[in-house]
Amino acid sequence: MSGPEVLVIGGGPAGVSAALELARAGIDVTLCEQGPRLGGAIHRQPDDPTQSVHVPQSHKRRWQALSDALAGSTVKVLCRHMFAGIEATGAVLLEDRIHGRLVTRRPAALVLAMGAIERVAPVPGWQLPGVVTVGGLQVMMKSTGRAPDGDVLIAGSGPLLVALAAQMASLGNAPVAVLERSPRLVSLRVVASLLRAPAYLREAAGYLLTLVRSGTLPQRGVCVTAIAPKDGRLSVTVRDRAGRERRLLVDRVALHDGLLPNSNGTTTGQHGPFIVRAGDCREVLGGTAALADGRLGAQAVLAHLGQTAPANKGPAAIMARERQAQAALNTLFDYSGRDPAQLPDETVICRCEGRTLGQLRSMLSADDPVSAREIKLNGRFGMGSCQGRFCAEWVASFVASQRNGTPPQPSEIVGSRWPVKPVPISAFVTLPPSSPSE
Amino acid sequence: MAVVGAGIVGMSAAHFLSRAGWQVTVYDTGVVASGATGSADGAVSVASKKPGPLMTLAVAAVKFYEHLIATGVLVDEYLPRSTFVVASDQEELAVLERHAGELEAADVAIRMLKGAALTQVIGAAAPSAIAAAEVQGEGHAVGYRVAERLRQLGGFAIRRNCRVSGFESTNGRITGLVTEHGTEPADAVLLATGIGSTHFLADAGLIRPRKGQLIVTDRAGADTPHFPGPLMSCRYLVSKGSQPAGAVAPSRSLGLVIDPLRTGQFLIGGSREDRDDRESADADVVAALLRDAVALSPSLAQLRVIRVFAGLRAATRDGMPIVGRVSGADNLWIATGFEGDGICLGPMMGRLCQQMICGEPPAQDISALDSARFGLTLATAA
Ligand SMILES: Cc1cc2nc3c(=O)[nH]c(=O)nc-3n(C[C@H](O)[C@H](O)[C@H](O)COP(=O)(O)OP(=O)(O)OC[C@H]3O[C@@H](n4cnc5c(N)ncnc54)[C@H](O)[C@@H]3O)c2cc1C
Ligand SMILES: Cc1cc2nc3c(=O)[nH]c(=O)nc-3n(C[C@H](O)[C@H](O)[C@H](O)COP(=O)(O)OP(=O)(O)OC[C@H]3O[C@@H](n4cnc5c(N)ncnc54)[C@H](O)[C@@H]3O)c2cc1C
Repeated sequence: MSGPEVLVIGGGPAGVSAALELARAGIDVTLCEQGPRLGGAIHRQPDDPTQSVHVPQSHKRRWQALSDALAGSTVKVLCRHMFAGIEATGAVLLEDRIHGRLVTRRPAALVLAMGAIERVAPVPGWQLPGVVTVGGLQVMMKSTGRAPDGDVLIAGSGPLLVALAAQMASLGNAPVAVLERSPRLVSLRVVASLLRAPAYLREAAGYLLTLVRSGTLPQRGVCVTAIAPKDGRLSVTVRDRAGRERRLLVDRVALHDGLLPNSNGTTTGQHGPFIVRAGDCREVLGGTAALADGRLGAQAVLAHLGQTAPANKGPAAIMARERQAQAALNTLFDYSGRDPAQLPDETVICRCEGRTLGQLRSMLSADDPVSAREIKLNGRFGMGSCQGRFCAEWVASFVASQRNGTPPQPSEIVGSRWPVKPVPISAFVTLPPSSPSE
Repeated sequence: MAVVGAGIVGMSAAHFLSRAGWQVTVYDTGVVASGATGSADGAVSVASKKPGPLMTLAVAAVKFYEHLIATGVLVDEYLPRSTFVVASDQEELAVLERHAGELEAADVAIRMLKGAALTQVIGAAAPSAIAAAEVQGEGHAVGYRVAERLRQLGGFAIRRNCRVSGFESTNGRITGLVTEHGTEPADAVLLATGIGSTHFLADAGLIRPRKGQLIVTDRAGADTPHFPGPLMSCRYLVSKGSQPAGAVAPSRSLGLVIDPLRTGQFLIGGSREDRDDRESADADVVAALLRDAVALSPSLAQLRVIRVFAGLRAATRDGMPIVGRVSGADNLWIATGFEGDGICLGPMMGRLCQQMICGEPPAQDISALDSARFGLTLATAA
């Protein structure tokens, strides 16, 4: 095939759907996925196919259809290839984890379908070993086909709490409790809005049924206020709606406070390719929307390349419906977390560098409006391996709560540098030098 | 007193001027340390200096850091340590020996490492080295941390996001600064504007940007050997112009320095490119630097790159900083052009600027830096 090359990053539903749509239009497409297999967050495939986690039938069918289409397409699939960013001359960097090397590409366009990142609101003790994220635990279960052992507490907010709990229960280790921060109960209005996207209702009903059987229905209006080590386990303080506190002794705590687009700070720059984002990477709306959004992303690329895509209102209509459904669903949850200003000073905010709220507060005590960049450099918030992707939001909101004036933006802390994730030096040194004329 | 530029030079000058009784305001287009000071390594070092006045000033500047620690101005922003200049082949060895001789002539304590001593001190970190010069009695300081410490000590005001575009003057004296937020009164002005100084000077080509790219790794693992201090390849001296190229062709002007940071991370740098694309790093240069680094220290291959960044050094036509008056106004001074040496020289330069402005005799002979050698005049735009 000749003509412009398009790279699609992320092998979830959005990336696969975008790649298929582009290939159908005759474009030379390469789909890169950092993990060993395609699937993404929702369709993650097990390491050992005989050890799979229970997933709804509709999910299975959808992934089967995508896999079949992909097998019959011209899409080139590169698994274990991580998108590492766009460097100054506009080259796209890929870490080829199969051969342990770094390669560059200069595609005409780039579709970023890297999914969502999981949000966790800071609580004292969240940096302790044994505290994980709900999504991380789910990914681990989907890969190994086994539930984590020991007593597990699930807390935070969002539909993922219930999904994980049900999957654990079906694998024989139901969590000791599921604590949902939001006190709001399912109302008729929410059910009515969700009737237009009935897949959610069916999925939720399936999970809830499993939890009723295992006796671990979520407790609403309950949140974790602190986690501390105790006798080699974790002592978790939880508070209910009435303000009563009690302690639970568990082996693991899985936290989750919603999803955010994985923007990764990547920007086009002066010389870079045309970029579109698709799926959760653009707007977190779930699996059905991700498929439609992948097609929309592909159409935007085709338009950029001067190809007129066949007029098709389908994907846009699906997006509108899913957006409404998600909005209805979100009224049941409370992603706010505790106001960082109310947290004790010893609470760790930046887990990479172990920097606390007290250290952040002390940087602000002077009457000088210290900038986000100064807070980052001198406070080391956002200077660790994640480069602020997990703490920038909390640092920014805390600073905003402490003073007037223009609030700092999380993007000032994350920045837009490459690599977007750490890359081994051993891979870097394999990059062939460019011609001296450059 | 208006100090324009909140880099290490401007912040140090503001500190000493405010202690000398001036009411000081620092203005910056960006924030504190948003220029070269925030995108640099922090070698407070004589090891790489060009023999001559710059080497002499660097010796004094290292002592000045020690003085600032002794007097409590700095607390833990300065870390004393040796620098190791490393030769990997016979040609580099010739450069090393010449440079070591010149350092010794400037009274710098040097220990030449060869054979068993070499193996013992840096053998694990740099197995392919054939010789090294340990330059003793110097150290490391992170530019933005020094600036932050001076900010915390206070005594002067800082106006962030406030670019200065020119001056108002009457009878050959500046009376005010023209900023993007209006005009501010000033009785005297010090320009400590780094590469931004070009805006104020009539001779536009006098100061040019020299880009440098730096790499930060994650923390060293248990199997990473101990690095006794920063390793500086002899090629660095050539790329910086401290030693003539001679037989050693500068490798794309990549002067390798592998700097073990206090955090357990490494800072690997830095290129010297005559370019002005400030905020971006390119894979080609980064990979070339890392190849050089791994050739010298193979154990680094196990670490990961977490961040790369670029900064602009302000390089003058003759390679020497510029400190002195700008003709066109009686109450206007400038301190700029510190290229790759401003973290080392910055705090002492702040003190020397204060002495110059207060009419006190300078503690160091800075006649070689005098702006008069270029006959500086104010740009008409300013
Ligand atoms: C942890 C988690 C669990 C979820 N579980 C469910 C569930 O059980 N039920 C449900 O309905 N919805 C679930 N969702 C919602 C999910 O967001 C959507 O249903 C759907 O997976 C979104 O599809 P996507 O293609 O946009 O992103 P994803 O499916 O997240 O796919 C993104 C892909 O990009 C890859 N990637 C990321 N960064 C890079 C990079 N730098 N280089 C190369 N590849 C990269 C990832 O490995 C991933 O395979 C979950 C989301 C998350 C984050
Ligand atoms: C990659 C790299 C590595 C380096 N490594 C070392 C090292 O190891 N050791 C060492 O000693 N030195 C090193 N340096 C050099 C050192 O960083 C500089 O010499 C030093 O920071 C210069 O400080 P400065 O205050 O003069 O300038 P800057 O830090 O650049 O400050 C100038 C300030 O002026 C402001 N400004 C400019 N124009 C205006 C205007 N019109 N109005 C208001 N504000 C304005 C800018 O925003 C900026 O904040 C390195 C530099 C680089 C780039």
